[in-house]
Amino acid sequence: MTPDMAAMTTTDGEAFLFWVLAPLMVLAALGLLFVRRAVHAALCLVFVMVSLAIMYIASGAPFLGVVQVVVYTGAVMMLFLFVLMLVGVDASDSLTETIRGQRWIGLLLGLGLAVVLIGVVSRATFLPGTPLTENQVANPVGLARILFGDYVLAMETVGVLLVTAAMGALVLTHRRRLETKRTQRWVAEQRVKALAEGGTLTPLPAPGVYAQSNAMDTPALGPDGRPLEHSVSRVLRIRGQEKAAPASLVETRSAGQVSTVPAATPDGGEDS
Amino acid sequence: MPEITAFEAPEIEWVALAPLLIVLGTGIVGVLVEAFVPARARRLTQIVLTLAALAGALVAVGVLWGMLQDTLTAQPGQEAALNPRVLGGTLFLTPFALGAQGIITILAILGVLVVADRTSTGEDAFAPTAAAVPGTHYEDLAREAGLRQTEIYPLLLFAAGGMMLFASTDDLIVMFIALEVLSLPLYVLCATARRRRLLSQEAAAKYFLLGAFASALFIFGVALIYGFGGMVVRGGNPDAIGVRLLEVSSASRNILSQGGSLPDGTAALYLAGVVLVVVGLLFKVGAVPFHAWTPDVYTGAPTPITGFMAAATKAAAVVALVQVLWRAGFGMAPDVVEQLQLAVVVIAVLTMAVGTVVGAVQTDVKRLLAYSSIAHAGFLVTGVVGFATVVDGGAAVSFVTPPEGQTIVAPDVIRGVLFYLLAYGVATVGAFGVVTLVRERSADGVILGEATDLAAWRGLGRRAPWLTAAFALFLLSMAGIPLTAGFVAKFGVFSAAVAAGYWWLAVLGVLASVVAVAFYVRVIVIMVMTPSNEETAAAAQGVVAVRDAGVPGSGAGLSGSGASGRGSADASAAPAGGAVEPAAPASGAVRTAAPEGGLATATVFGEEHEAKAEAAATDAVVVGSRGPAAVAVALCAAATLVLGLFPSLVLDLAEQATRYVP
Amino acid sequence: MEITNYVVLACILFAIGATTVLLRRNAIVVFMGVELMLNATNLAFVTFARIHGDLTGQVLAFFVMVVAAAEVVVGLAIIVTIFRTRRSASVDDVNLLHG
Repeated sequence: MTPDMAAMTTTDGEAFLFWVLAPLMVLAALGLLFVRRAVHAALCLVFVMVSLAIMYIASGAPFLGVVQVVVYTGAVMMLFLFVLMLVGVDASDSLTETIRGQRWIGLLLGLGLAVVLIGVVSRATFLPGTPLTENQVANPVGLARILFGDYVLAMETVGVLLVTAAMGALVLTHRRRLETKRTQRWVAEQRVKALAEGGTLTPLPAPGVYAQSNAMDTPALGPDGRPLEHSVSRVLRIRGQEKAAPASLVETRSAGQVSTVPAATPDGGEDS
Repeated sequence: MPEITAFEAPEIEWVALAPLLIVLGTGIVGVLVEAFVPARARRLTQIVLTLAALAGALVAVGVLWGMLQDTLTAQPGQEAALNPRVLGGTLFLTPFALGAQGIITILAILGVLVVADRTSTGEDAFAPTAAAVPGTHYEDLAREAGLRQTEIYPLLLFAAGGMMLFASTDDLIVMFIALEVLSLPLYVLCATARRRRLLSQEAAAKYFLLGAFASALFIFGVALIYGFGGMVVRGGNPDAIGVRLLEVSSASRNILSQGGSLPDGTAALYLAGVVLVVVGLLFKVGAVPFHAWTPDVYTGAPTPITGFMAAATKAAAVVALVQVLWRAGFGMAPDVVEQLQLAVVVIAVLTMAVGTVVGAVQTDVKRLLAYSSIAHAGFLVTGVVGFATVVDGGAAVSFVTPPEGQTIVAPDVIRGVLFYLLAYGVATVGAFGVVTLVRERSADGVILGEATDLAAWRGLGRRAPWLTAAFALFLLSMAGIPLTAGFVAKFGVFSAAVAAGYWWLAVLGVLASVVAVAFYVRVIVIMVMTPSNEETAAAAQGVVAVRDAGVPGSGAGLSGSGASGRGSADASAAPAGGAVEPAAPASGAVRTAAPEGGLATATVFGEEHEAKAEAAATDAVVVGSRGPAAVAVALCAAATLVLGLFPSLVLDLAEQATRYVP
Repeated sequence: MEITNYVVLACILFAIGATTVLLRRNAIVVFMGVELMLNATNLAFVTFARIHGDLTGQVLAFFVMVVAAAEVVVGLAIIVTIFRTRRSASVDDVNLLHG
């Protein structure tokens, strides 16, 4: 599809594309304004950005179209979504109240800005210049020429900017390790040390699993038939949510006896 | 397909780029230092590197200044020593821009000195590591491990480099990039305060969001200007169309002056673009409709950063504003320029009014200085209104070509603005430097954060006369009292406004200054004339046991900077004076010795947990500087006096800057 | 269809972005508004470049994209930092920014 670059009008195909995309884009952009959840706003923005990429390609800027997809939707918006996940997807309006919002004034200002800008732009007459050739359009070499010709200083400065950004982000988020790393060896040594103070070498016993009560909150029974308190998660114990082991099991054993198969009880307590 | 080999590398005038290259290049080296230099030596290395780079840049600016003056005064036919337009205007070294670079470098040096000072408490104003969540175990660990956030130095260099580029480019897209280069480090630095960290982080967020908004407005303005520029510049080499403001304006002016007319409606397009760009700049200047961020950000940011930000950013932004207004006005029809001028006048009036009136009721020192900076933005904008007028016998007439017997006002603007920026910047860095040294103290003698509540400053003059004197000097200079730099500066900008035909604006400015004097003097009265809280309490209750009001850190202040020459005399004099002075002569109080001095140096303290109410009741104490900040404050004070007493030194230089109108 | 319709679309998107910044109170959404503004700017650049038959506009848009990417990195870092603090903001003696 070669856009008609010669005049101030587009081909019919492009006009169709525009009239399909543009209203949708405006709707999605308005979504940014009215949608309550930040994630939905982000998705709206992604839609606008992808549509913009399509428009760039239709307007003779295929390179920018690709960059738009890669940089904006690929990197920037992913970063946004990532941070949203980090902050909590449900965090809709909680984060900061940075700007005192006088709602109506804001709305009026926005409307005013739109009216003024559209008025200015639509009144201005644009004269078409020499159209870009097919060669220029399809080829990033032309861009590179400008980039490394007149704008080489800008290019270098952008490099500095990216270094700054990386460094700034690291300053604010990178936490150096200040404690020694907990290797397996370290953990093992700690356990052996703790043995003297009544710690255990082995992991704690798993909670009891019985048919009637579904694990976790019920203590396991030791070889002596008594329930092992510390087999239940500490949190549950503190909360007081632990349950007693099935009475039938505990009672049928006396200390020291290690029998396994009890008779079927009316409770239906069975080892599984 | 065009061949890649056909590319001709652009000729780059490296000499003209030297100051920028030194500053930004050293910033990059600083990043590498972070990676490769062991942690112990890192802080010192960074400070030395940063100061060396800035000093080098200052020297380079000086050399360039000489070359530029040679070029401008050269006879026609003589070979130019320096082509001011580097890379076709990407960097445009007018004397004005170069002067701004010099001022920014000077302010950055002073700012870095304040930043580098750890004071006698042994801790600087920055969090051990900004990434640690306040109040967590990790933060305590970081503090105990003695971590230092040394990344601030490269970030400061990047910011300074961005400002220098910002003030000296003709190309709007480069200006946009420079705007970001100067802003991003500042956003980050705002969030690194050691104390009141949530406040600091919120300040950063606020600054960032509003700053990003402003830069978005700026770049949309650039887009509109590009839309207009393409129309007028067109013809010949299509690559030449861009957003170089001077080219766009000249092309537009050519059309206008040849009696031609611009295509329908495009003049409005140009105006809209310029207005958006100017709004973006006014945000950075901190002028009134766009000032909302200033008080909070200035309060929340670490104080040394606030000083640097207030002084240097303002310098860069105002210079850029003058250049944009001038160059844009160059290509507009006379009546449009007048409208633009009127808008600027309105902003100047509003800014002065809000800055002085709201500032007068502040009780927090940092907030007070923030509003003072807004007021100064107003005075500066007052000086800017003459940006594009030609004066005919006192009445401002329309712009276009100056007929015989008329003068262009721009030289007044250039002279006034440059001098003002230097005078204001020096006073601001100095004042914030003083604020970093005045601290709160908890009931058990532990030195806490800065005592920003004015109530705590009562009677400071007795305890630290030198420091108080310096602070009073800065305030007087800001107020524009004769014999200080501020007076000459204000005279300069107001006369520029008068020359532009806006004498009533100058009168308003003088009125605003008078009101402002009241609010600066109020602070001085609090410091010097009011008895301290302790004395008042003692007098009221007849209690003899007055707590020690001496200066715990004075010993460290004395020993801190043995090697730094004249400055160190001032450094030790300032806190030591406080210690020598009897603490509470009124009631014959028993003055206890201050053994906490050594203690405070050794111990590293955490967040201040004391309630604000308690702080208000206790007096501020002055901690000794370890040298750099005292040197900076002393230099600022000296500069304020020298600029006030012998303004001709700098005015001559500023006069040279007017040889080439932006 | 007139090419200038693209510019009008850019203006609309820009204004919506600006309104988002002014109205929304969630920092992340506000920031998205800024991104929308920058995107609208790029559309204007590309369209003007097409009208003028000039590649510079595309280079300018390219620069804006890079700058926006850098800005996002820093901005989100600041927002994440605040979030971390706020979630455990019990210890700090903060009187929040008023204004």
